[in-house]
Amino acid sequence: MRFIDVALIIDSIPRILMGIGLTFQLLFLSLTLGTALAIILLLLRISGRWYLAAPTMVYIYIFRGTPILVQIFIIYYGLPQLEFIRESIFWPILREPFGCAIIALSLNTGAYVSEIFRGGVLGVDRGLKEAGAALGLSVTQRFIYITSPIAIRLCLPAYSNDVVSLMKSTALASTITLLDMMGIARTIVAETYAPYEIFLSVMVIYLIITWVIQRTFGWIEKRMSQHIRSEA
Amino acid sequence: MGAISGWWDDFFWGSLVVVEIFFVALILTVLFGLIGAGAKLSKSRVANAIASGYTIVFRGTPEILVLLLFYFGSAVALTAIAQVFDPEVKFVDFPPFWAGSLAIALIIGSYATETFRGAFLGVEPGQIEAARALGISNLQTFIYVRVPAMWRLALPPFGNHMLSLIKDTALIAIIGLEETLFVAEQATATTGKPFTMFILVGAIYLGFSTIITLSVMALEKYANRHLAVGR
Repeated sequence: MRFIDVALIIDSIPRILMGIGLTFQLLFLSLTLGTALAIILLLLRISGRWYLAAPTMVYIYIFRGTPILVQIFIIYYGLPQLEFIRESIFWPILREPFGCAIIALSLNTGAYVSEIFRGGVLGVDRGLKEAGAALGLSVTQRFIYITSPIAIRLCLPAYSNDVVSLMKSTALASTITLLDMMGIARTIVAETYAPYEIFLSVMVIYLIITWVIQRTFGWIEKRMSQHIRSEA
Repeated sequence: MGAISGWWDDFFWGSLVVVEIFFVALILTVLFGLIGAGAKLSKSRVANAIASGYTIVFRGTPEILVLLLFYFGSAVALTAIAQVFDPEVKFVDFPPFWAGSLAIALIIGSYATETFRGAFLGVEPGQIEAARALGISNLQTFIYVRVPAMWRLALPPFGNHMLSLIKDTALIAIIGLEETLFVAEQATATTGKPFTMFILVGAIYLGFSTIITLSVMALEKYANRHLAVGR
C-alpha cells in the first residue's frame, strides 16, 4: 500500500490555488447578482398584488425544488437546443461555460436568499412600523428606514449560511468544463490518480474559505447589534 | 416532446434509483445525526471534539468534493488491497450506489447533527426529571421521552434536510450511477435534445420535492396533534 505522497501535495497546492481566482469570481459575481435578484423577488412577493406575488412564488418553488446541478445542465447543455436562444443577444454569454455558471448560480441563490429576506422582513416588529406610520412616514420610507435595517440584521445569520452554500455550489462549475479549484483538482487526480492527496488538500482550502466567510459575517453581525449588547 | 418517447422506461428506472438512494441515505442520515448529536451532548471531551470536527468538515466542503473523494478514494484503497492478493487486478471500485449514499448521508448527517442537538436541548428538563422520578432507566427515557419530544421540534428543519438530500442524489450521476440525470445525458447523446431531457429531470425532481414537502407537512400535523385546540 502506498503512503501519502507529500511531494505531490506540495507540488499540487500552487496549481490548485491558480483556480481560487475563478472560484472567487463565481462566488462574488453570482452573490451580487443573486442578492439583487432576491431583493426584486422580495419586493414583488410582498407587494400585496397577487399577479406579482404568484409568479415569484412559482419561481422560488421551481428553483428551490430542483437540484442546482440540473439547473446548470439545463442552462449550459439544454438552452443551445433552442433556436431563439442561439439567435438572441444573450448568446455570447450563454455560449461560454463561465456565463452559464454565473447565470445558474445567481438564479438559484436568488430564490433562496429572497426567502431569507422575507423571513427577516416578517420578523420586524409591527409596532415599529405602526410608530413610523403614526409619525407620518410613507410606505416606502417605512420600508427603507425602519423595516430594512432591522430585517437585514435579523437575516444575517441565515444569509451567511447561504453564502457558504453558494461557495460550495461554485465547485459544480467544474462539471461544465470550468477550471476552478475543483476543476483543477479533478484534472490533477485524472493525471496522477492520487485522490487522497489532491482532494484532501482542496478540502482544506475550501474549509479555510468557509471559515473566513463565517468569521466575516460573525464580525458584521456583532457590529450591527452593538446597540443591543450595550443595553444588556 | 416526441424525443422522450423511447426513453420513458429508462427515466422510470432512473427515478426508482433516486428513490432507493433517498431511503438508504435517509436511514444513514438519521443514524449519523443521532450519533453526532449524542456525541456533541455527551460529557466526553473526545466525543465532543470528534463530532465538532465532523460537522465542521462536512458542512464546510462542497458536496461534489466529498463524493469524489469517497468514490475515488475507496477505489484506490480497494485496488491496493486487491493487488496484494492478485497483482493482475487493475481497478476495483466501490459501487457508486453505496459510495454515493454514504457520502450524501455523511453530509446531510452533519446538518442533522446540529438539528438533533438543538432539538434534544429543547426538550423540557422537567419531563426527563419526571421520568427519572418514576424510576425509568436511561435507555427507556431516551426512547420513550426524549425522542418523541425531540422529533416534533426537529421535524421542520429536518424536512429541509430531506429536500437537500433528494437534490444531492443528482450529484451521484457524476460518478456514473444510472439515475435520472445520467439517463438524460445518455438520451441527449442519441437524440440531440438536451433541453427536453434535462427539463424532464428537473420536473421529476420537482415532483419528488413536492411529495417530501407535503409529507413533512402531514407529519408535522401528526406530531403536533396533541397541541391542536380541541374542537
